[in-house]
Amino acid sequence: MDIGSIISIIVTSLMAMVPIVLTSVGAVWSERAGVVSIGYEGVLLMSAFFGAIVAELTGSGVMGLLGGIATGIVFGMLHGVLTVYLKGNHVIPGIGINLLALGVVPFGILAYWGTAGQHQVTVTLWSWQTKYGKISPMIPVTIAIAIITWWVLFKTPLGLRVRAVGENPEAADALGINVEKYRFWSTVYGHALAGLGGAYMSVAWLGVVQKAMSAGRGFIALANMVFSGWNPLVALIGGWLFGFFDALATWLAPLHIVPGQFILMLPYIMTLIIVAGIIGKARPPKWDGRPYKRE
Amino acid sequence: MKEVPIIEMKGIVKVYPDGTKALKGVDFSVKQGEIHGLLGENGAGKTTLMKILSGMLHPTEGKIYVRGKEVRFKSPADALANGIGMVHQHFTLVEVFDALHNIILGMEGHGLLSKINVDKAREKLKKLMEDLNFRVPLDVPVEDLPVGVQQRIEILKMLFRDVDVLILDEPTAVLTPIEVEELFAVLRKLKAEGKTIIFISHKLNEVMELTDRVTVLRKGEVVGTVKTSEATPQLLARMMVGRDVVLRIQKPPKEPGEPILRIENLWVKGDRGEDAVKDLAFEVRAGEIFGIAGVEGNGQTELIEAITGLRRPEKGRIILNDRDITGRPPKELYDAGMAHIPEDRTRMGLILDMTVTENAILGLQWRKEFQRWVGTVDWGKAKRHTEMLINEFEIVAPGVDAPVKSLSGGNQQKLIVAREVSKKPVLIIASQPTRGVDVASTEYIRNYLVKLRNEGKAVLLVSADLDEILQLSDRMGIMYEGEFMGIVKPEEVTTEEIGMMMGGIKYEELNK
Ligand SMILES: Nc1ncnc2c1ncn2[C@@H]1O[C@H](COP(=O)(O)OP(=O)(O)OP(=O)(O)O)[C@@H](O)[C@H]1O
Ligand SMILES: [Mg+2]
Repeated sequence: MDIGSIISIIVTSLMAMVPIVLTSVGAVWSERAGVVSIGYEGVLLMSAFFGAIVAELTGSGVMGLLGGIATGIVFGMLHGVLTVYLKGNHVIPGIGINLLALGVVPFGILAYWGTAGQHQVTVTLWSWQTKYGKISPMIPVTIAIAIITWWVLFKTPLGLRVRAVGENPEAADALGINVEKYRFWSTVYGHALAGLGGAYMSVAWLGVVQKAMSAGRGFIALANMVFSGWNPLVALIGGWLFGFFDALATWLAPLHIVPGQFILMLPYIMTLIIVAGIIGKARPPKWDGRPYKRE
Repeated sequence: MKEVPIIEMKGIVKVYPDGTKALKGVDFSVKQGEIHGLLGENGAGKTTLMKILSGMLHPTEGKIYVRGKEVRFKSPADALANGIGMVHQHFTLVEVFDALHNIILGMEGHGLLSKINVDKAREKLKKLMEDLNFRVPLDVPVEDLPVGVQQRIEILKMLFRDVDVLILDEPTAVLTPIEVEELFAVLRKLKAEGKTIIFISHKLNEVMELTDRVTVLRKGEVVGTVKTSEATPQLLARMMVGRDVVLRIQKPPKEPGEPILRIENLWVKGDRGEDAVKDLAFEVRAGEIFGIAGVEGNGQTELIEAITGLRRPEKGRIILNDRDITGRPPKELYDAGMAHIPEDRTRMGLILDMTVTENAILGLQWRKEFQRWVGTVDWGKAKRHTEMLINEFEIVAPGVDAPVKSLSGGNQQKLIVAREVSKKPVLIIASQPTRGVDVASTEYIRNYLVKLRNEGKAVLLVSADLDEILQLSDRMGIMYEGEFMGIVKPEEVTTEEIGMMMGGIKYEELNK
């Protein structure tokens, strides 16, 4: 392996980490506040779709990303209302969102662009073309988001309250903290980041909208969140590791050194081993996934 | 002119969503600067009334006045803004945070998105702790602190918010006698500073000692308010229960039989790696109640955890019915006939979000009588069993399908006791069995332990309540820093002698 391939694997891995890191960091925040969602897979897919539409309508890649965020916000609010205010089950709405995406996106591609299953996005976000592959400005943005989220979560009053609400909502409530408000907006933030990640896939990274383009990244992000011990910084590293082994697997595949199935498992297994190794036993927020009712 | 009460609650009715009518038109008034006791049986509605006053719950009907002005609390934030703060019966602490962050939570004192600055808060707390002589470690996660300290943190949390009215819901239930004295000293100091305190307790002598006036609730209604100086414990008990309570235990003499539990040279380490139990040896025989007295934190918890299989001993042996059970898993111990009433009911005794029935058969679900076919529980039988326990122990519960957290604290405790004794054990380990339980039920539980003893069961009793130990034990060990200062019969020693042993003087040295 020469230095050029190494650099290009790293570049590819940084590009691949963005949606996973953004979703993981969003999920970390939401679960720190005590709201579980498994709907990120669907949110990624739908915001890839709507983000592309907005980009093409406005002629701006940045607007496309904002469109993805807006999509995330809508589903975050839906999930927030159901789980936080109506005290519903935290898992079921996510199943609904994922199923909805599987219907909306293929149908939408066909209905909107008139092509089946795939559409080449005409307006994309600017990126830096190098001989090792393209580099998106979303890479530093993602790293910054992970670091800022970590800082806010662990260093500021806002983060303290969010963590309190996820650990022991009754304690927070007794001190006059509006548990529902914090939980609701945390859910929205979590889904908004996933929405950004989704739009990035279509508008900045792959340049296409495909009916199954989320490809399990929403779930990988959740696994990464758990391995990270609900820590945005570790989730950043975990997301990058996944991207790295994913890129490595793609590079290895044509060489036929190891069986293909084994190569496909590589990113999952390596990420699991390394991140789980760093963290050891992590403990989820105590009230994670449990509705809070006063009476 | 008649002075305006600082708190006045009028015609308070509370119906819980499941239809339980917890309060049926309660009038309650508290004067500025007094310590006002609130008494009542388990489930009388004390906690409910105080949660309404602190903004945690909304009254179904009724009005609240603070300093003569009507208020409507939407949340605890409103009550705090009116200077009313509550320390809950079940603590509300974020266990992974340290004391400092638990205390400043919600009052960090600056912008939501700026870096937390604890210097000012630390200053203020240091001064508060200094003035009141009431100290807690500020930088240790609260889950690593004993309950007595956790409670102090809860109180400091309210004082940090400069409340005028401090509500304490059964604060002494988890405290040792010494801690109770320290708490009372602090409360008196606060009173002298002009603060108003509402104090809930089941211990009549505490209420007699501390309060200025007492209000008694029974089944959601006010029985009356009396001046403490004009009351007697008997009067208060009668008001609470509606009949005379004989606080007496019938305990016929009994020859103990074979040893059931034998502890041999047991060494157990505590959480911090210290030797919590040092070379302890004793036995509990059939038909005997063996009490362990001592100031909490002298190894009792570790000893019980070792016996019940929750903590691995370093050295020594634990023998149950001639079988070495050292280091065996809890399930095996239960199968061998051990039952355990744990000291911390919400952490180890119950699963609060599960129903009364589910909790009532916890640990019994494997037994044949509750099984239908492989691995499935016969819920019909489980419910009938639960109903039987509820009747027998007079547990007040909204129903067998209600979550256990909707039971009042004392009734939760009664449910654990009922479940454990229903296991038909040969050895029952009772840690603080009557903690948070009202007078009448305390009497019932204590008599029940004596009944088990009369039937030839072995009972190991650990209690911070010395009266309980003296009343029930046939023999007692006084524990100090992981060792017994003496194993004596209660009638052989005086309270002074016990006090000295609890302070670390050996029995043999006493009689020199
Ligand atoms: N969340 C709830 N849902 C339904 N019923 C409830 C709930 N909380 C309490 N209750 C019921 O309301 C009644 C009063 O309970 P409360 O906790 O106020 O009693 P308490 O006087 O504090 O008793 P204790 O001394 O045992 O703490 C009880 O019958 C209890 O079962
Ligand atoms: Mg209560």
